[in-house]
Amino acid sequence: MNTLYYFVLIPMVYFSFTVFFVGTGIRLVKIFRKPKQSTSLQIYPEKRPQWLWALHDTFLFPSVRKHKPVLWIFLILFHVCLLLLMIGHLELFGEFRIFQIIPHEVFLGKGFVGLILCLAVLFFLFRRFLSPVRELSVPEDYYLLILLFLIVLFGSQMDWARRWYGYEELLVEDYRTYLLSLLTLKPELPYNVINSGHSFMLVLHVFFANLFLIFFPFSQSMHSFLSLPMNKLRRG
Amino acid sequence: MDPKTREDLLKLFQGKLNEAMTFYLETCTRCGVCIEACHVYASMGKVRYIAAYRQEIVRRIYKKYFKARGNVWPSVGDAKELNDMALEELYEAAYSCTGCRRCMVYCPFGIDTQMIMSIAKLLLVGAHSEPEILTLLADTSIEKGKSLDIFKESFLTGIKKLEKDVVKKWKMEAGGTPIPMDVQGADLLFVALAGAHSIIPTAAIFNAAGENWTLSFFEAVNFGAFVGDPGRTQLILDRIVKEAKRLKVKEVCICECGTAFRVMKQLAGKQPFKVSSVTEVHARYIKEGRIQLDRSLLNGVVTYHDPCQIARNGDVIDAPRYILKHLTNHFREMSPDPKYNWCCGGGGGLVALGEETLDFRMKSSKVKADQIKRTEATTVVTACENCHTQLCNLNDHYQMGVDVKFLSSMVADALVQK
Ligand code: HEM
Ligand code: SF4
Ligand code: SF4
Repeated sequence: MNTLYYFVLIPMVYFSFTVFFVGTGIRLVKIFRKPKQSTSLQIYPEKRPQWLWALHDTFLFPSVRKHKPVLWIFLILFHVCLLLLMIGHLELFGEFRIFQIIPHEVFLGKGFVGLILCLAVLFFLFRRFLSPVRELSVPEDYYLLILLFLIVLFGSQMDWARRWYGYEELLVEDYRTYLLSLLTLKPELPYNVINSGHSFMLVLHVFFANLFLIFFPFSQSMHSFLSLPMNKLRRG
Repeated sequence: MDPKTREDLLKLFQGKLNEAMTFYLETCTRCGVCIEACHVYASMGKVRYIAAYRQEIVRRIYKKYFKARGNVWPSVGDAKELNDMALEELYEAAYSCTGCRRCMVYCPFGIDTQMIMSIAKLLLVGAHSEPEILTLLADTSIEKGKSLDIFKESFLTGIKKLEKDVVKKWKMEAGGTPIPMDVQGADLLFVALAGAHSIIPTAAIFNAAGENWTLSFFEAVNFGAFVGDPGRTQLILDRIVKEAKRLKVKEVCICECGTAFRVMKQLAGKQPFKVSSVTEVHARYIKEGRIQLDRSLLNGVVTYHDPCQIARNGDVIDAPRYILKHLTNHFREMSPDPKYNWCCGGGGGLVALGEETLDFRMKSSKVKADQIKRTEATTVVTACENCHTQLCNLNDHYQMGVDVKFLSSMVADALVQK
């Protein structure tokens, strides 16, 4: 069992992060080095300044708000919570002054961020089972959402355990030791991290996250990087 | 399909994969925001007419041959082999899409379905499965560019016959040429369509405005663009560019033809002349006081159909409204926002295919007919040959009882002779 935990928590993490960063980097460089479209792809009437409107379209999804308002609410919640979670994970490495402008315990949002994400992902998933989005979807769309759901569920469980059910065995300090050791390339697994009652949750969380990171550069998730340049093309 | 054919087709595909196209093929999240955007889906309700579904027909082939994933795990993206059945699907997707780009307005990323369909069209050309008539027409245009001298005489005689009709609309001073041709150093080169209705009214307006103009030997329409063949599109375009350079004109003015205008404006590249639509030029004459229009000729509500390639995709939006303000006091917008105007359903070569597509064109454009009915207009004006034909067909089919008119001919009819 310990070997399995070790494998998921150390070598596989290194592997997946390498694939994620190198894969995404190479793919983006390759795409951006392709010949540019010689004609305009703009939609009119135009609004200036165009780069500002492109940013607006990219981050606020105005067309979704207009045509699918319910989806829009979940999308905004989902993407904002995703951002908060990224901050949360950074804080698992150590203290960051800037993030503590609003003082909080690690994992912003008192556990609700994870809950909202779970619900949002379930919403995305279930709407894919309804026609006609169902006919449009391909397996990748479901796999990504299922993976995300599993990641968020097991991740949130650890947070909820501490906050909501007073299960105080796996602490932020333990994670910090583990993650910093990974970062400094001297990997170690503190006793608590693999021997507490909730260690299996951590292992599952990390396992699914690894799968997600490995798949990311090759999937439609690349929309997160391509959205801005595409919206710029439309705005001219 | 034999392996050699497939290899050749994939090479054509590869050639299309520039940066923007790769963005579009990599990105769709199949979120379904574009579902209601397409007039064909909105009118007929079949899933295969949703923009994202059409894209996916092309994207599946991309996933099979141009992503590493296609070898390792093709099923994760429903990757599909390029075979004869795929070609049929490509045909169905591409020739039921008018390339109006209304769906592009909806998509949170701005994916251009028309551009993705251009891959489908090119593969069909490569497999000799495109609508032959379009290629034939394109080749005729190209031939005319190559051997202008053979056509020249008969064309000039034909044009001479139209001159008395031009004079009927606008009396010129003695000695003027109603339809000048081949004028070195003219200010404006007018590129019309083959057909008197495209030449006569605008000629009268040019004369009324005292324009120093000349008529092109070539017709504006670009069948190469309809059939999605970049080589032919360019050759057809080049004929006009060459003529404009030879005559040293300052401006090339494209008649009421959406495709011709967009192709000319965007594909011509940097040139010593500017490109404008005839609508813009007419609006300019009114603004500069070069022509006066009689506002009392029209009764009833007038509405304007924005041709997709001219408005949403070509930025000519204010000019027609400015002209209409000088033609009627009863103008009513069709759509609250021109970028959301429904396509007439005739673009992308569908009208050019004539009777063959009539049934589909009528069924797929029910939403357009409904939109027109809601305006309660008695006159529907437009500024594109394709749209005009399609709107006339819709008028008959849905018994709308409206008058479908070209904006240019309305301007010509309302000219006030000083
Ligand atoms: C900043 C640019 C971004 C834009 C414009 C954007 C837009 C969208 C849109 C329109 C969807 C469709 C939801 C659906 O499938 O129903 C979506 C879903 C999603 N986005 Fe983003 N997103 C962005 C950034 C990101 C980032 C940084 C991530 C990080 C991983 C991300 C991950 C996801 C995921 C996992 C989904 C759910 C996929 C699904 O529903 O199938 N997005 N996003
Ligand atoms: S709106 Fe755009 S991303 Fe969403 S399904 Fe349609 S084409 Fe794909
Ligand atoms: S370009 Fe127009 S016809 Fe084609 S899919 Fe989009 S909305 Fe439909």
